[in-house]
Amino acid sequence: MSPQLTLQTPLQLPATEIPSYLKQLWNNEESDNKGANTFCLLVWQPAWIEQQLISVGKITGPIIGNQREEVIEAAREIVLEKELPHCTAPLDQKVSASLENKKITTKHEDLRGQHIDSSISQLQPRRLITLAPTIEKKNQLETLVAAYCPLPEDGGNSACGDVIVLRGGIDSIKSNLKMVEELIPEDLPSWLWWNGSIDENPEIFEMVALPIRRLIIDTALGEPSKCLSLLQKSIENEQTVNDLNWLRLRTWRETLAMVFDPPHRRTILNDLINVDIDIEGDNPVQGLLLVAWLADRLNWKMTNTLKQDSGGVKTEFIRSDNKKVTFRLMPLPVGKPSIHPGQIIGLRLISKTGTSPKNDVCVILASESGECMRLEAGGMASKELIEEVVPIQNNSSEMDVARLLSTSRGSTSPLLANASPLASKLLNMITASKEVKN
Amino acid sequence: MDITCTNPLRIGLRQERVIPPQCLVIFGASGDLTQRKLIPALFELFKQRRLPSEFAVVGCARRSWSNEEFRRRMSTALTEQIKQNKTEWEIFSSYLFYEPVDLQKSQDVFKLGKRLEAIDQLKATHGNRTFYLSVAPKFYASGCKALSEAGLLNDPKRNRIVIEKPFGRDYSSAQQLNKVVQSCAIESQIFRIDHYLGKETVQNILVLRFANSIFEPIWNRNYISNVQITSAETVGVEDRAGYYEGSGALRDMVQNHLTQMLAITAMEPPGHFDPESIRNEKAKVLQAAHLANELEPWECCVRGQYKEGGNQANPLLSYREEPGVNPNSTTETFVAMKLFVNNWRWQGVPFYVRTGKRLAKRVSEVVLNFREAPVHLFDAAGGSPTSNQLVLRIQPNEGAEFRFDVKSPGSGMRSRPVEMEFSYDESFGEPFDDGYVRLLADAMLGDPTLFTRSDEVEAAWRLYTPLLELIEDSPWQLPIYPYESRTWGPAEADSLLAKDNLLWRRP
Repeated sequence: MSPQLTLQTPLQLPATEIPSYLKQLWNNEESDNKGANTFCLLVWQPAWIEQQLISVGKITGPIIGNQREEVIEAAREIVLEKELPHCTAPLDQKVSASLENKKITTKHEDLRGQHIDSSISQLQPRRLITLAPTIEKKNQLETLVAAYCPLPEDGGNSACGDVIVLRGGIDSIKSNLKMVEELIPEDLPSWLWWNGSIDENPEIFEMVALPIRRLIIDTALGEPSKCLSLLQKSIENEQTVNDLNWLRLRTWRETLAMVFDPPHRRTILNDLINVDIDIEGDNPVQGLLLVAWLADRLNWKMTNTLKQDSGGVKTEFIRSDNKKVTFRLMPLPVGKPSIHPGQIIGLRLISKTGTSPKNDVCVILASESGECMRLEAGGMASKELIEEVVPIQNNSSEMDVARLLSTSRGSTSPLLANASPLASKLLNMITASKEVKN
Repeated sequence: MDITCTNPLRIGLRQERVIPPQCLVIFGASGDLTQRKLIPALFELFKQRRLPSEFAVVGCARRSWSNEEFRRRMSTALTEQIKQNKTEWEIFSSYLFYEPVDLQKSQDVFKLGKRLEAIDQLKATHGNRTFYLSVAPKFYASGCKALSEAGLLNDPKRNRIVIEKPFGRDYSSAQQLNKVVQSCAIESQIFRIDHYLGKETVQNILVLRFANSIFEPIWNRNYISNVQITSAETVGVEDRAGYYEGSGALRDMVQNHLTQMLAITAMEPPGHFDPESIRNEKAKVLQAAHLANELEPWECCVRGQYKEGGNQANPLLSYREEPGVNPNSTTETFVAMKLFVNNWRWQGVPFYVRTGKRLAKRVSEVVLNFREAPVHLFDAAGGSPTSNQLVLRIQPNEGAEFRFDVKSPGSGMRSRPVEMEFSYDESFGEPFDDGYVRLLADAMLGDPTLFTRSDEVEAAWRLYTPLLELIEDSPWQLPIYPYESRTWGPAEADSLLAKDNLLWRRP
């Protein structure tokens, strides 16, 4: 879906005048046009990599902020040029860290917040507020405002909303955050989409991620322990939280569930003895969330045993019948990783029901045929083999956010709430084991 | 957790659309449909966590019940479902309210408006209201008018109206009713319900046709020789004689359920999966459909009425002996007919449709019989070669099967038919609802895809006008043939196909 521009050229106004301007805008309208009665979306939109790529001349402007192919390809080139590990995902912080924060010398338009992805605009948000920090830390704050009416793709009814952009150096944004709160309609659900690394600018995050706000974060972006810790903290505090990394797991969870939809296959789940997950690169969060979901669904208990070697991380769970399940998380150095760090590329479940290997069942889900062959190695072909291909999700973050907004019940997914603490514990064990080793 | 009963990995995975804050107002709340279908469907939605917390159901009928009385009665009606879900019912029943309303009295409807405002405040339902007319069809028009006059349909984005079948008695009454309803609300507010469209298996016809590339190229007159649509019931008229005497099988089943199945089976692929694209294609098919012989409808239609049957231990009454039925009734309990769809895809392909009560088996299915192979190279084990057959089983044993010939084992080259089968039960192991869960959710979501549009309803009535006129004006030309209970209808229904050298499929 192509992005939509605001129909009205955004008006640059002093920050203090925005509330009164908006009041006037809607009050002046005809009495039945009070704007969409939907939700408010506050977006932290740093687009660091895009800004950096423009500053080093890798791509040309304008700065849009939406995930686009041009940025992804240029980031992949940086991975090679800066000799980062080939499995570094283009949206990995390492890519951003490898680029110097050069000042953008040529003037480029900055359309962040004005270029609304149609997947989001179709949901008719009442208000979109974009916080757009610039690389230049000392830039003054610029505030823009515009009304917009999304054009419905199905020809149905449309309700109008408005967009507000706060653009400037980090400090200038920080000092105006109080005003942002005043701009968020009290009577509508408000969402915060932290479209950046979770461990950046914690002070700003604290200020905007108020308990009443529904959070959208991406645990693939940022230091894993901080990501999972934030996830868990939000769940403990009963703040609604949604994770795009978890959302991207849906095809794996769906495909795995499909394998066990036929009732005659469900008994296999009682006899699982091995779970192996292969991930791209070394960010373990998605892999841990998947096994945590599986363990939670199948009533497995964690143990304290953990081994780490070239074969990845190995740990054990205890099934409800007190038998062991071995879990292995294997980081793989793939050549062309997907956009987000640590995406799962293979999952293998082995079930043992008797002494004869013929009774064993091996379920392999993989993102490509090479990975299928890798997971088939070690005599899997002698077992009853169930294989499915799970294409890696390369949806834009905007589409994922739109999906979340349209399907969320306004509360944290109970499945994520159950899986997250277990994933956190596993990660803590891995971190502790690394520290002992070092 | 008994993981063989339910797939533990499936739980919580479905990403259903979220129903916005909502107040569902049911007129006819003291009636059978409310307790048998609507409240159980809403309770199911609640258990599936699909209802918003800002939700209310307001039951309306002439009886002067209180909220408590309404809740108690619903609880009694749902005893079995509540047994396993007592806590859920306690919460759900707090959403139930009752308001005595006579739709014919404007002061009652105005009073209801006030009550709904109060419930809006109490339950924060934001003025989103869906009005469900589960009342006698004669009250549809006046009910809509009353709601409109009370200003309860004023907001086209927030107020909707759901109308049960039958929508009219014939083409002109359907037109008239459409006129009245459309003067009270715009088309996007009107949801004409046909619960067959809520069935997974009926919707699956769309997926089977348009999500697979192998079916659509052969889904036409070049490959299909005839289509048979059957909806058979084993039960008799039961306690619905009052209604059924005035409607009969043609109005009760064919004009709506079977015609909708025909439309979905025969429609062209829509450009998009959106309500209007789908309904446009369905309407086009219905406009292109006609009786095989409109000038002499008796040549393409057979009516029947069940006689007694059963056995000594369990005798079955004939239709005319049923309580509430006129002993000389000429209402048909069985009807079979032949139709054509005059378009490029279906020109010359007969669509045979049949439905009846007290038939041999409860079954609904769509059967596509393919043309025979042009040259028969092999001896058929069964004596004559069989053609390929695709059976879409709507209910029970929901699923599909495809029949094709293989080599019969042994020396020689004899062919014999085998079946390739898909069963919902074996593949998914999940229970089915009867369509109301899906349709109620869709109505509250404002999604009209699975509801019939005004032009569809009118086209469906127009299709059967020659028959209805004949029954009205000269019924002797379309006689009622008696058939023994628990058989497949009168022998004349078989003759209808025999004229074309065909047989009904025996399900």
